[in-house]
Amino acid sequence: MNNKLLAGIVVVIVVIAAVAVWQFLPSAPAPESIKIGLVAPYQIPVGQDMDRAARMAVDEINDAGGIYVSSLGTSLPIELVIADTENANPEVAVTAVTRAVIQDQVDLLIGGFSSGATLADQVVAIENRVPFIITGASSHLVTRRGPQANYGGLPEGHALRIDDAEGMSYMFHYCTTTAHYSRTVAYFFAEAMKPLLDSEYEFDASRPLRLAVMYRDDAYGQGVWGDTKRFVEDDNLPIEIVAEKNYPIDTQTFQAELTAIKATNPDAVYVVDFTTNSATIYRQGQSDVGLNSVYIAVECCEEPEFYAALGIWGDNQLLESKFASYAGPPFYLEMMNTYVADYQDIYNTVPGMMGADTYDAFYIAKDAIERAGTLDKSAVRDAIETTNMDQMLIITESGKMEFSTEAETYHEIAPFTFVEQLFYDEQIGETRPLVIWPETAPGVGTIKQTDFILPDNYEPGPP
Amino acid sequence: MLDATTIILTLIWGVAIGSIYVLLATGLNLIFGVMKLVNFAHGQLLMIGAYIGFTVWSIFGVNAYLAIFFAMASVAIIGILVERFSFRRVLGEEKLNEIFVSLGLILLFDNVAVLLWGEKSKRIISPFENMSVLIGELSISYDWLIAMAIVVVMLISLIFLIKKTKIGLAMRATSQRQEASMLMGINVERIYILTFAIGAAMAGAAGVLFGIIFPFNPYIGALPTIKAFAIIILGGLGSIPGAIIGGLLYGIAEQSAVIFLGGIWRNAIAFTVLIIVLIFRPKGLFGEKGE
Amino acid sequence: MFNKKQIISLKGSRKFRFLVIAIVFSSLIPLLLNDPFMIHVLTLIAIFAVYTSSWNLLANSGQGSLGHAAFLGIGGFTSSLLAINLGIPPIIGIFIGASFSAGIGFLIGLTCVRLEAWFLAMVTFGFSVIAETLVSQFDDVTHGVMGFRTPLLMPSGLPFYYFALLMAIITVIIIYLLMKSKIGLAFRALKENSSEARMIGINIAKYKLYAFVISTFFAGLAGSLYAHFLRYINVAVFSADNSFKPLMMAVIGGLGTIEGPVIGSIILVSIDSFLPNIDKYLQPVMSPLFSAVSNVGPPLRLLGLGLFLLLVVIFFPKGVASIIKRLYNYLLKQFRE
Repeated sequence: MNNKLLAGIVVVIVVIAAVAVWQFLPSAPAPESIKIGLVAPYQIPVGQDMDRAARMAVDEINDAGGIYVSSLGTSLPIELVIADTENANPEVAVTAVTRAVIQDQVDLLIGGFSSGATLADQVVAIENRVPFIITGASSHLVTRRGPQANYGGLPEGHALRIDDAEGMSYMFHYCTTTAHYSRTVAYFFAEAMKPLLDSEYEFDASRPLRLAVMYRDDAYGQGVWGDTKRFVEDDNLPIEIVAEKNYPIDTQTFQAELTAIKATNPDAVYVVDFTTNSATIYRQGQSDVGLNSVYIAVECCEEPEFYAALGIWGDNQLLESKFASYAGPPFYLEMMNTYVADYQDIYNTVPGMMGADTYDAFYIAKDAIERAGTLDKSAVRDAIETTNMDQMLIITESGKMEFSTEAETYHEIAPFTFVEQLFYDEQIGETRPLVIWPETAPGVGTIKQTDFILPDNYEPGPP
Repeated sequence: MLDATTIILTLIWGVAIGSIYVLLATGLNLIFGVMKLVNFAHGQLLMIGAYIGFTVWSIFGVNAYLAIFFAMASVAIIGILVERFSFRRVLGEEKLNEIFVSLGLILLFDNVAVLLWGEKSKRIISPFENMSVLIGELSISYDWLIAMAIVVVMLISLIFLIKKTKIGLAMRATSQRQEASMLMGINVERIYILTFAIGAAMAGAAGVLFGIIFPFNPYIGALPTIKAFAIIILGGLGSIPGAIIGGLLYGIAEQSAVIFLGGIWRNAIAFTVLIIVLIFRPKGLFGEKGE
Repeated sequence: MFNKKQIISLKGSRKFRFLVIAIVFSSLIPLLLNDPFMIHVLTLIAIFAVYTSSWNLLANSGQGSLGHAAFLGIGGFTSSLLAINLGIPPIIGIFIGASFSAGIGFLIGLTCVRLEAWFLAMVTFGFSVIAETLVSQFDDVTHGVMGFRTPLLMPSGLPFYYFALLMAIITVIIIYLLMKSKIGLAFRALKENSSEARMIGINIAKYKLYAFVISTFFAGLAGSLYAHFLRYINVAVFSADNSFKPLMMAVIGGLGTIEGPVIGSIILVSIDSFLPNIDKYLQPVMSPLFSAVSNVGPPLRLLGLGLFLLLVVIFFPKGVASIIKRLYNYLLKQFRE
């Protein structure tokens, strides 16, 4: 071995020793704050909405003195740790959550966006036993891939299964799943739209409603559409599916799909996509293809973006919703009045539905830590599991925020969704919604604001 | 189910959609033709153009179509700065360094747009919003028709500029023989700046048209770049007619794939057509033979 | 393929010294850091070193690919699917994945060898789009849309790191020896000037195809490692981001060098992994300036990264490797005097 090589190795060892010393210097002091990680995609518009809502919740909680931890005998403020998943690419998501869990040592995680990214990054939380309140992935598998939920119906040996029951018990899902969305839309068509068509156009009662669907070709689109079909078939709803068109998620021009759909003469078009694409489909369908029908988009389009992108093309069209931040004030839930007003004060924009889930989740976390009286993660998990608070921004079937422990709905809430109709307001140049279906919501009473009417230019399918 | 009307309508939409891509592709191709540079951040210039159009329209109440002129001027200036401070410094050394510069510019432009205009989708509303004409079975909005007309006018002006003016002559000379044109007293650096500015201005115009027809956010630039790049490869690098035919062909291939195979194949088919064309014509449809 | 003389010539050269030092350093550092996140980052660096080296080899033969993510994905899906469907152990599967990727690479290469720079770039990019579509269209076989959990290749943490490191070292050495060999000389000739290369009797198509097959083999290997490391794979692996990453890493490290891709992987993976930590400092300082966004951290950080990339390529067009080389020579000179 020559001298230079030896010298090089000596240099290396010196460097490593220096790094090691630097590594071991900081020791762990008593916690000065409760670290909550927000898992959000900042390169997707919805990420900033989650950030705004999280910041608002954290500021409110901290201004009111923080979270009282009885085992420490003191209140601690929340420190928000951002796990930026950028564009929800699984690699970036795993790295971001690993950084939050291992480097920042978060006490709890909230957020998540995109089922694909969450199925990948939640494993870090599962393996490290960190409670994760998932507010933004619509696949029910995020809580049901473990033994407690009989693996969510995944077949024996399926690669998405997770056998770690203990780890899975740290996962909570505060979000609508594809099944929730689908049920509301399918029943709306069967119970509200079909009777209206029958009476308006004197259709025979045996004539099923002709439904066409446009869905983005990813886990989300396939999940929503698969579940809708299941409801139509299993519950024998009077709906005939006349066209199913899927397209790559980066599509901007839908004229060819819409032309093909028009040739099938549907009574209604179900659009399964996010804000911008959904608005584009409404618009291109009416202005470019002359497909004058009733369009309905999924609940996740309840964002300011959707209204801005839609403009006049939303007039008399429909939107499913779970958080009608545009249908007021006054709102059906008392708490929404203050939330929407405060949010607009601070950020000068109307809150979207992704932020509402996130905001609620911070209060669930606060409540759970206070009941647990410690930052011990398994105690916090047990406390989240026994959450029993009044509903805040999201209506639930029981009027309470509580996580199921049943196998079929493991660690999920039961959110309630409804349908709005949009009406153009010339003053603002955008549409604003009113709730049209159903009449009442659990724990709220009447939510319906107006009757469902068919658009002026509406053309139904053949008798 | 697949009747003749549907097929004809789809082809017409293929042409309409293709013509929007053409504007971006022509600008990209002009820059390539003269400077031998592919600017992968060209779609970001489109995005910035859309935002400038939006700002002029929403704050100063300028008509959406007049906003095109503001966008063209501003994006041309941005283009000049980009050329002067980034591309010129790496030009002609290593092609991959040029792509790398583009990637840096993409990060730069996208995030500047997020910081200035926010992340939420915007739209530019034209005075003809909600108006369409019905030609037989085809319903088409005024905005699409106007956009296509603007594309045609801009292409004709560009061809006129290149074929009939002194500047155009200098640009053609530079594109063919850089050293020779320098000897002939052409200021190559000035021609480069001018070319980049024209290409950028076209992207700016395309941006406003895009913003009238589609909702846009800071991240929309990537896809149009890829499509424009595919189009100029298909048509032949540096060839203006190639970019036009390539754009229309691309639009038609994409839209026909939707009705014949299903929407999910649209991108894959467009690229398959591209690969097949390149197998038979390795330099694209209108590409020059040999070195 | 390599004769004894080459291997002997490797020993005692400056490169050899660097190699030994790098191996010693990279083997010892995780033991002392004792931080799982650091090991996560180091493992990613090793995987990207393989991936970028494979891309760089192709670029060295004058073929700059913009669709290498296709091969990353093919390798990852092949190895993972073989393991869950046929029970083939991942340790074998990763090489089958790499070979399958090389097989597809051979077919794509047949199309590409006739094409020039930009045309080739677009064909490879187009192929990654086609691969993505095929994988999501045949979801029944690939499960690519929802994605799936990939089987365990090595226990996560140190064992996986050392395995990935071993793969990276082997890849770098093989590529180094290759570039020193006759084939490597032919590659360089192709890159410099293909018409001259033809004149001195190099069969261009043959050598371009060699480059394609070897490069896609290692890209597939990197993809298999990537999938088993993340323990998850879906069609997002084919994203354009993953195609552009090796280009960025190679350019920032130093194009056409052996050490460039490794240096580039270290720099960019570290930036991606550690830079988000500054978001919390940017937010309070900068947020009053930009009212349009709630958290200015992420966009400002990425803006800064964009500027940094521009500055690097403008001032150091030959990459960071060239700076290190210059610094080393300078120090050596000082030391001798």
